[in-house]
Amino acid sequence: MESQDKALLERKVRKAFQVLVLQRGRNPGVKGWEMKRYLGRDYKKIIEVLSEDVSGLGLEVFEVKGADGTDDSSRFLLRFREPPSVSEAETSGIRIDDLAVLAATIAFINSKQGRAARREVEIFLREKFPKWRVEYSLDRYVKRGYLEQDDRTMLHTGWRTHAEVDEKTLMTLILSRAQAAPKK
Amino acid sequence: METSSANPFDVDIKEKILLLKNRLPEWKLLEELLVDSEAMLELTQIVKLQDEWLKHRASSLYIDPLLIQLKVKLLQKEALTEAFVKSWHPVAQVDQISPKGLEKAFVYWRDLSSIAERFKEEFGNYGIKPGVVDYQELITLGVFTKNQFEQGLNELQAELMEKSEGDWIDYMEFIKSPDTETRVLRAYLLAFLVSEGRASLKTEPLTSKVYIAALGAKAIGLPKSVAISLAGGD
Repeated sequence: MESQDKALLERKVRKAFQVLVLQRGRNPGVKGWEMKRYLGRDYKKIIEVLSEDVSGLGLEVFEVKGADGTDDSSRFLLRFREPPSVSEAETSGIRIDDLAVLAATIAFINSKQGRAARREVEIFLREKFPKWRVEYSLDRYVKRGYLEQDDRTMLHTGWRTHAEVDEKTLMTLILSRAQAAPKK
Repeated sequence: METSSANPFDVDIKEKILLLKNRLPEWKLLEELLVDSEAMLELTQIVKLQDEWLKHRASSLYIDPLLIQLKVKLLQKEALTEAFVKSWHPVAQVDQISPKGLEKAFVYWRDLSSIAERFKEEFGNYGIKPGVVDYQELITLGVFTKNQFEQGLNELQAELMEKSEGDWIDYMEFIKSPDTETRVLRAYLLAFLVSEGRASLKTEPLTSKVYIAALGAKAIGLPKSVAISLAGGD
């Protein structure tokens, strides 16, 4: 009986991994209600086991809480357990300047209680980055889910930022960084 | 308030509600009451913003805005990137087709009719590639007989001689006809006249205009192929 239970659990964990790793819709991750459909009512326990299993590969299953805070509305994703190094990030084809724009935008929005007018963000970023890059990057990050723009052109941090970025660490790191010496 | 990141606590909600309450008995018209309810709705939105503002401020993410903005301004791009990467956990996922998706794609491809068939209903024979229809083929297809064709050529040459009076005339004007079929037929016959040396063509390089003239005697010299689009007249 015990070995049957073990086999069932292993099968469900394998299924959970397959469900999480293959992109189904436009956005990555699987909603709680979908996980329940695939794995049954005890899906959260199976996710916990899977998260432990994939830790050896440097991965984890992460839960992003939905708008109403229920398990059904949560989004579950497979993500890196530890952040990559800067050189690893560079090899993935992402430009340093683009990441700097995103870091500055998230910090600015968080400093404004989680919402800021797009115009305000653009003015702030233009002090550091060229105009074309600011507009291009903001549009791109809205499209990719890192930022959200409402119909009143207010910017918020998007679901992808909540999923991938440890915002508290980001703010702490920005504050703790010593400013660079002026160029001679 | 909703379109800026100003402090929502700058609005005195209590004072505004009291004002609306005091003025309520004065409103008689429906329009006035609607504006009043709209003002109430706006106030509830501000209360919602106050709630979000408090939640954010109570969270560990709250840092003095001026301090963080100053820090971001002073930091180099590389330092900002490093801070981001150190707090970044990219999503891992495979973006590939599943066996089920592959099967769906196969069934779709198998049942898909050719482009020519798909566009036939909508655009007639638009999907068929352009090709060459020669004189023999037109006779075989029964478009006209050999005698009709010769007669058509002679009539067109006579018309050209009459209209051109030995001079160059505009090609497009000459083939002009109320319906497209006749225009194409005239252009087709004219091409035969030119290739037989019974008419001559010239193009004006600056305006790209094409001129035609009837020739009494057969032209000598090397023939040159010229492609003329008839689409412009449609």
